Amino acid sequence: MKALIIGGGLGGLLTATRLVKAGHRVEVFERLALIGGRFINLDYKGYTLTSGALHMIPHGSRGPLASMLRQVGADVKIVPSSPPATLRIPDNGSFRDMSFEKFSSPLSLTDKLKLFYLTTKSRFVKPGDESFKDWFFPFIKDTWLIKFANAYCGWALSMRCDEIPAREVLAIIDNMRRYGGPGVPMGGCGAIINALEQVILSGGGIIHTNSQVDQILIVDGRAVGVEAGGGTILGDVVISDIGHQATAQLYDHPGSDEFREYMASLESIKPSAGIKISLGANRPLIEHSGILLTPYARRVNGINEVTNIDPSLAPPGKHLVMSHQAIQSDDIQSEIELGLKDLEDIFHKEDYEVLMVQTYRNGWPVNRAGSGSDLGNTTPIRGLYIVGDGAKGKGGIEVEGVALGVENTIGLLQNFKTNYTT
Amino acid sequence: MRISTECVGCGQCVVFCPSEAISVWGKASISDNCTQCGVCIQYCPLGAIREEEA
Repeated sequence: MKALIIGGGLGGLLTATRLVKAGHRVEVFERLALIGGRFINLDYKGYTLTSGALHMIPHGSRGPLASMLRQVGADVKIVPSSPPATLRIPDNGSFRDMSFEKFSSPLSLTDKLKLFYLTTKSRFVKPGDESFKDWFFPFIKDTWLIKFANAYCGWALSMRCDEIPAREVLAIIDNMRRYGGPGVPMGGCGAIINALEQVILSGGGIIHTNSQVDQILIVDGRAVGVEAGGGTILGDVVISDIGHQATAQLYDHPGSDEFREYMASLESIKPSAGIKISLGANRPLIEHSGILLTPYARRVNGINEVTNIDPSLAPPGKHLVMSHQAIQSDDIQSEIELGLKDLEDIFHKEDYEVLMVQTYRNGWPVNRAGSGSDLGNTTPIRGLYIVGDGAKGKGGIEVEGVALGVENTIGLLQNFKTNYTT
Repeated sequence: MRISTECVGCGQCVVFCPSEAISVWGKASISDNCTQCGVCIQYCPLGAIREEEA
């Protein structure tokens, strides 16, 4: 089977490695001069910044992404963060840090019991479409729990707890139990991209850069090739890493009711937006390698200091600190100002330099489909599949969701191959 | 070089500019250091950087 892959982001490259390893022919088309999407290392002032990610794998060396990397033989070392996360709480003009596992300790005894009841119940009665906030707040009217939930959902998903469906958050909590906490890839997220590239090339796969796909060719409701770089390339399947919406702009739409329904369902996809602030510091600002969640900050949801695991991500003796915040309004300038003020408060009197402020929204968001609004990996066009951050698997945080979506797509492709190709 | 309204401020162009002419703060802006080399164009995920019209 020959697979044509549109977009060389993490989803496209993971799919390519899986297919190459299964003996298929693969061509990847990346419109930019470099591959990796929002998972690229960017060298700046001696620091290793990124094109998006925060050099952290949500479920570390035990999660879906790490498993897939091992499966395809991508040579990357992911070091578990220890502790996974702490919570910074203001305390008499200063602050104290609390263990993530003890997040419920500020709750009253009654509220603790109610939370236990709600979580236990959810294992038997799955919540509907209500938001995570609407799942707990009618029973536990506690503002700490809201702040905690917003910091966690903001850090992990770039969403507020009233924006994300409860079923998705509960699936994420299940995955946290199953796979454990975060880890840092040695060499940063770019090390993963480099390792995947090596697997693809050594397996005979082809990666084109500066190669924009202008059209997906459809014959009798089936994807049969692409137009890229002025030429026509034919294949058995087309897998797109650029999301459902952008992909649908690349082919002529069939007039069927099924297709009209599909186009209407795309309206429900909501991208998530966020701001990352990268700081350079002369001494450690966080004393551990996990996530520092900041529920009391105005905007910042959490911060990490990956140089506590891989010092090579900053110049000798320096530290790389990255904060993330979900965007709360259209006024980007004040969202940035509020984030910077938060960092001044959190790292009061510390000596650091703001390296770069990066915003992800609109056409280049944190996630093309915010968690819970993913539509799955199929399209009404036979032989056309979607992977990446616009088609994540259930309960998968960021890149873990990308890996779950790719895993699902590989299963679909197996069936497709049996039924439609020789 | 000219930055269009599609720019979201992802900062990718900043690190590839050989003249350190780009800064980013919610949106990219280009200083007089720009030599019109055009390198940044191929790194913008949104195609938001274009050549100056003559």
